Amino acid sequence: MRNKRYDGAGRGDLLLWIVGAFLLYLLWDSGFFTAAAWSDFNRRFYQNFVKDNRYMMLVDGLKSTIFMTSGATVIGVIVGLILSVIRVAHKGGVHIPVLNKLAETYITVLRGTPAMVQLLIWNFTIFASARDLNTQYIAILAFGLNSGAYVAEIFRGGIESIDAGQMEAARSLGLTYGSSMRHVILPQALRNVVPMLFNEFIALLKETSIAGYIGIDDLTRAGQNIQALTLEHSQPLVMVAIIYLIMVMVLSKLVKKLEQWLSRGRRG
Amino acid sequence: MNDDMILTVKDLHKTFRLQDGRTLKVLNGITTGIRKGEKIAVIGPSGSGKSTFLRCLNQMEVPTSGVITFKGEDITAPECNINLVRRHMGMVFQHFYLFPHLTVRKNLTLAPVDQKLMTQEEADAKALELLARVGLADKIDEWPDRLSGGQKQRVAIARAMAMSPDMLLFDEPTSALDPEMIGEVLDVMKELADSGMTMYLVTHEMGFAHKIADRVLFIDKGVISEEGTPDEVFDHPKQPRTIEFLSKVLRR
Repeated sequence: MRNKRYDGAGRGDLLLWIVGAFLLYLLWDSGFFTAAAWSDFNRRFYQNFVKDNRYMMLVDGLKSTIFMTSGATVIGVIVGLILSVIRVAHKGGVHIPVLNKLAETYITVLRGTPAMVQLLIWNFTIFASARDLNTQYIAILAFGLNSGAYVAEIFRGGIESIDAGQMEAARSLGLTYGSSMRHVILPQALRNVVPMLFNEFIALLKETSIAGYIGIDDLTRAGQNIQALTLEHSQPLVMVAIIYLIMVMVLSKLVKKLEQWLSRGRRG
Repeated sequence: MNDDMILTVKDLHKTFRLQDGRTLKVLNGITTGIRKGEKIAVIGPSGSGKSTFLRCLNQMEVPTSGVITFKGEDITAPECNINLVRRHMGMVFQHFYLFPHLTVRKNLTLAPVDQKLMTQEEADAKALELLARVGLADKIDEWPDRLSGGQKQRVAIARAMAMSPDMLLFDEPTSALDPEMIGEVLDVMKELADSGMTMYLVTHEMGFAHKIADRVLFIDKGVISEEGTPDEVFDHPKQPRTIEFLSKVLRR
């Protein structure tokens, strides 16, 4: 298996080469490969990232970004699971019209308004008087509740993809609706949606870049902070972009691996 | 109805409401019953309502009207807890519906353990005993997708038996199987029948029905149009619809 990699580059690798070559061309075109430009680049690089340990601003920003993304994903998955079960149970004949209406409204409102606006409302309206509260927790709540609305639809699709016979078989053995859901339907549905949940995690990772608007020094904001110190307009943000890109590419690769592993697993 | 009836059905109707608002009358007044230990085969053309009849017995389909009693209790009454009733009324499906994310062992032990009828150890012992009975003791830690169709259905029968039911409902248990696997499933069912299990069997296996059934119901257009011993129904049918149906299926 391993040796196969030497037979040639995969499609993803090819794309990288093309992008890389294009960037090189741009750099060459802007006179980057002259000795003067090179020493200028080095000087600016030193200013932006090395002097006064400024790279630590990016590291701290990255920590904040990962912290918010992880927290929001946990909230999103829990909220999404609850919402989707309410909606599926309602459709499946469990009598919960009020809960179902609430869930529907929740999903409509949170998917129908920009995440950015929601974030601002959480910070400047709902938690306006809670000045002692760490703003990062407000962001986690805002991103998590927003993500929950999307995750709910992912879960609902996953649950509805399970053969109705599975529920019947479980009920025929005397299991309650809840037990059947918990032991038979959800484990199978979860397995089906794991790759999509990872994609939601990746989307959140990028979405948290608006956290700077409520004063959180996340990765994006850290780049801007360096900009403010060095009055340098390109290097910090390009560096930020590269860090996001690397994370997203690594995670996407993991999702691919996960999908392969899941599809090789048991079915039936 | 007799006192020894374990289940009685009185004037059962089922009307489905279709998506486009029309209604479809599937059962048009069925009155029947089954004694303890009796085996009843239910035959009839497709769309006659025989599967719906079976699925009404454990309320997989909620009847539109009619009364079903099981061990003296009216299970169509709103105050009846159907989950408790279903513990005693196992069902075997055409497409098995084993739980693919659970091992064979867990397929058998999930229901009794979850309903606190047994500890995991007791349920494990029972599972092993039942699997031995259907000839699959060596598959106890196997995943369902590693089994053949016939093996899956035998596990599904063992799963239904794991609840120690008083009665089993078979909904075309061999219709989804490759021909060479039908025999092994019928053998298991024969053994169950011989052991005294009360059974309703919806089937197209006329030979098997003839062999194990005490009584045969021929359902057509949502009513029992003919009923009797296998000899009466299969060898001396009286109704024209029965004669026509049997001539079609037995000619093969």
